[in-house]
Amino acid sequence: MGNHATRLKSEIDGWLAAGLIDTETAGRLHAEVESRAGSRFGFASVLAAFAALLFAAAILLFVAANWEAMPRLLRLGLILLLILLGYGFGAVATLRGYARLAEAGHLVGIAAFGGGMALIGQMYHLSGDEAQALLVWCGAAALSAAMLRSSALTAAAVVLATVWMWSEGWDIWRDGTPPAGALPILAMLWALSLWTRSAPARHVIILSLSSYVVLAVVGGNVVVAPALLAAGAAILFVVAVRLGARAERVFGMGGMPVHAMLAFGLAMVLLHHAFGDGAGLAVVALLSFAACIGALVLSRGADRAVRWLAYLGFGVELCLVYVLTIGTMLGTAGFLLASGLLLALTAFVVLRFERRFKMLRQTQEKTP
Amino acid sequence: MKSRFRVLGAALLVAALQIGFLAALVEGRASILRDGREVLLKVEPVDPRDLLRGDYVRLGYAISTLDRSLFADQEALLAHDAEIMVRLAPGGDDGLWQAVGARPAGPPAVVDDADTVEIAGRIDGTPGGSETVRVTYGIERFYLPEGQGRPIERDLSVRPFRMLVAVADDGQAQIKAFFDGQRRLFEEAPY
Repeated sequence: MGNHATRLKSEIDGWLAAGLIDTETAGRLHAEVESRAGSRFGFASVLAAFAALLFAAAILLFVAANWEAMPRLLRLGLILLLILLGYGFGAVATLRGYARLAEAGHLVGIAAFGGGMALIGQMYHLSGDEAQALLVWCGAAALSAAMLRSSALTAAAVVLATVWMWSEGWDIWRDGTPPAGALPILAMLWALSLWTRSAPARHVIILSLSSYVVLAVVGGNVVVAPALLAAGAAILFVVAVRLGARAERVFGMGGMPVHAMLAFGLAMVLLHHAFGDGAGLAVVALLSFAACIGALVLSRGADRAVRWLAYLGFGVELCLVYVLTIGTMLGTAGFLLASGLLLALTAFVVLRFERRFKMLRQTQEKTP
Repeated sequence: MKSRFRVLGAALLVAALQIGFLAALVEGRASILRDGREVLLKVEPVDPRDLLRGDYVRLGYAISTLDRSLFADQEALLAHDAEIMVRLAPGGDDGLWQAVGARPAGPPAVVDDADTVEIAGRIDGTPGGSETVRVTYGIERFYLPEGQGRPIERDLSVRPFRMLVAVADDGQAQIKAFFDGQRRLFEEAPY
């Protein structure tokens, strides 16, 4: 968000320099950007969110401690009261205009609901389906998010859905598979995030999708899932870069190219795990080198995060190839020498690109 | 003014729904404790090394391991994590109940014997070629106040423990009282 404001301000300066707007308008625009950035990200709201998380953790521990000093019906009553207080506080804060504080109240409410379910399980010695309880918890968060139009509850629902997916799909003793309902649930939560205007929820959904692929790989689906992830990430990257500044509006969130690159990198690591040597290794390695260069060329170095992720990817891939192929045959000294050479090569590539981007920017600045 | 009511109303509705859901959960369990049929089951240690998990003991029962011959319909065994109904009957003079039959959970019971009780269970995983089947009933945990788990864990493998379980009409089981021999260790009130 701060990033966005900084970019906007440099754009305003650019317009001023180009004579598109006068000094007074530029000053007003600056003030406007600053005021908006301030309302979005305040120190107090961060403290409130942390307080809510601490409260939530306290509630869950309170239940887990099975504290006998208090009759359990009283404990349950306290938790139910906490639900009411959490949402009530949220409503009051909303009415007073403190949207972030309201979200903190909502988080306390949904945490108390989960704590209540755990406490009832403890009271009646219920055993068995924890995964189902998580799904109920997730459903309650999603329903409440829809009714309160709460961004934080939407994000909480996504996190709970992801935990559910893993607890259902991952089994240490046998091959797990991601539950069939996981992708439809994530799709529904994306739709919900449109209603609740929750960009954070969308970020978590994208990360959750990557974790779905990891789960599929653990469950034995070693090639198709990462290949699909790589293809999807590549398409997403190209679309996001082509859209340029409009991408943030189309996807309803910023940073899509970075997400796409992270997902692509994860897919490559998973594919390397599947193809450790021979022709498979070469294909995967070439693919990731090509992707790094491709990302740089396509984005024209406009986005700093994309640029450095591409360099990082390039370097990591070089190291991986080295370790997987010749690293096993050389001694420590050879390793150090080769590492130096690799670093030098990476530095050379980075330098070349940086110089090109700099020249590109200079010519762009001259042309208007 | 309208939006003020809407904001407060939505918050109250959300809170009421969540509180109502939890209250219904409690009432469902309490009603099994009040009205369910009582059966006394023999407790067997599951895994002597690792009974105590945090604040509860893991428990197994004599009816957790069922003989394949109890199933009239062997097809019911094939499904992964299949839901089944196990018929229990009081056997012998020690008051313990034993499994006398089992069927898939779907269709209603054919025999309707007033002296027996049907308890709902779930086959653990996919049974292989062995003679017995592992079944769970949702009563495999007993939560204890902190620090009281160790002695029980130790004694469980030495002496016979018994569990009084209430079973609802639909077969749902609910732990009611935990016995060490004849001594009542814990008893659960409905609330």
